[in-house]
Amino acid sequence: MATTVADLAERQRRLQLKELLNKHYKWMDYKWDLVFWVTAVFVVGGAADITKLLFAGDWDFWTDWKDFQWWPVVTAFGTIIIPSALQYIQWAAWRFPTGATYTAVSLFLLSWLGRYTQWHIASAYPMNFVWPMSCVGAAILMDWTLMKTRSFVLTSLIGAPIWAFAVWAFNYVPLAPLLQPTNFMGHILTVSDVQGIVYIRSQTPEYLRLIERGALRSFLGETQYVALVFGATVAIGGYWVGQFIGRYLAVWPIKRYLKSW
Amino acid sequence: MAHPARQRQARTEFDRGSAPPGAARRPTDWLGGWRSLFYGSAILLVANAFLWFWNYNYMFTAGLNSNSPEFTLRYRSLFWVELVTVGVFTGVWFGWLIRTGRELVKQPLPRPEEVRRIAVLWSLIGITSLCIAIMASFWPNWDGSWHQTMVRDTAFTPTHIPMFYFWFPLAITLALGSYLYGRFRIPAVYGRGNGFPWSFFLLISAAVFEMLQVAFNEWGHSLWISEEFFAVKFHWPFVLYGWLAGGMFAVWGETILRLFEIEKTEEESESVGVPRAG
Repeated sequence: MATTVADLAERQRRLQLKELLNKHYKWMDYKWDLVFWVTAVFVVGGAADITKLLFAGDWDFWTDWKDFQWWPVVTAFGTIIIPSALQYIQWAAWRFPTGATYTAVSLFLLSWLGRYTQWHIASAYPMNFVWPMSCVGAAILMDWTLMKTRSFVLTSLIGAPIWAFAVWAFNYVPLAPLLQPTNFMGHILTVSDVQGIVYIRSQTPEYLRLIERGALRSFLGETQYVALVFGATVAIGGYWVGQFIGRYLAVWPIKRYLKSW
Repeated sequence: MAHPARQRQARTEFDRGSAPPGAARRPTDWLGGWRSLFYGSAILLVANAFLWFWNYNYMFTAGLNSNSPEFTLRYRSLFWVELVTVGVFTGVWFGWLIRTGRELVKQPLPRPEEVRRIAVLWSLIGITSLCIAIMASFWPNWDGSWHQTMVRDTAFTPTHIPMFYFWFPLAITLALGSYLYGRFRIPAVYGRGNGFPWSFFLLISAAVFEMLQVAFNEWGHSLWISEEFFAVKFHWPFVLYGWLAGGMFAVWGETILRLFEIEKTEEESESVGVPRAG
């Protein structure tokens, strides 16, 4: 009997939802959706890019800065914040597990535009030296985690570490050819080291030396994975910074007013 | 009693949304309420293209030595032109918004006209969003490539002049102007009686804070580091602009809720046989 009542209630709810889905509005049409989803790309991509640039930009600008110690840590933290905020916004508004992917695609478009027009055309660096990282693959996995767990706590504990590992793994693919050893003026260096020496960066603090210390390469097998685990840890913190932005700077202010100054 | 010219202006805007179907564009037609989005975005893109080509053309020939006459001609003059342009635009636009708004706010507001105004507000917010992308992604990329490779001898560098002194103040103008538009034209959400909305408080403070951070940034560079290191600590406050701009989502949220209310009122008035508005 209880099951029957529950079934009827569920059927009634579905009918109501179906009616709502097919409801005809006088002024609310597809244009509102289109304008929102297209114009939000700019603020979302801009916020994601400025956050990445100022927390992890140096490691993203140059191939020789994509090291084994810092790159996996700062990139994981710097890139997860805004995707987490959008994950909250889109989940709260529509139950769409798409916020991280939406942000990652927006960031991908804007960062490639900036990198190509400003670094390649205007400043004449080759794109294989200054290509921007992508977090689209990591974002799909983090959204999938939210979809399956339906929990922001579990997504932070499972999805954020997945993010840190996936960001490194997906971007290691284009980076790997540039980490091949080569002989440069009698020294064994990587191809990316040679790029860093050949293309002048007179104003960067590291212009007189290589980015990595020799010890890091000696301990390559350990350092890289220790850094990835630490990157996963800080990504959990970054995820909650993003949740704060989504909850209190984007959704909480809706229809709230300052009554007095 | 309002000046007749002002009354005419207010009536023209009022009538645009309440014209019978077929005689004029509907409030939500692309060239009805949404046209501001296309015109405004086009102006921003043209301005950005102009500044990009200007910088591309002159940065190496005139932008390396701030003591040279070429720098004064190409960049100091650009600096002043930018500030005057944004200043004049702000004065004219805000003056128009307030002057006509004071008249409009006293008049009855038909539902189609309110819908049109919400579409215009969304257009203004969309333009602000584009401005944020230009100032938070497009120009910082050039700023990074320039300052990590060129020795600077001034705070007013070829990449700073367009970014800090055109796009940053323009963002303040667009955020504050969007609020002024809502304040007088969408009183149900942003009217005086409601108080100051948190959504616009965050969005406007984001733009203002960003301008203040420029001063801290340049002070920091002059004090202890002339080299460029993008992830340096005194750059970090710049990210707050992107974070506080989350207030934009609250603007979208509260206006779409108002749109639902308008639809519901329209539906109810139709069901009891009240003549349709518009």
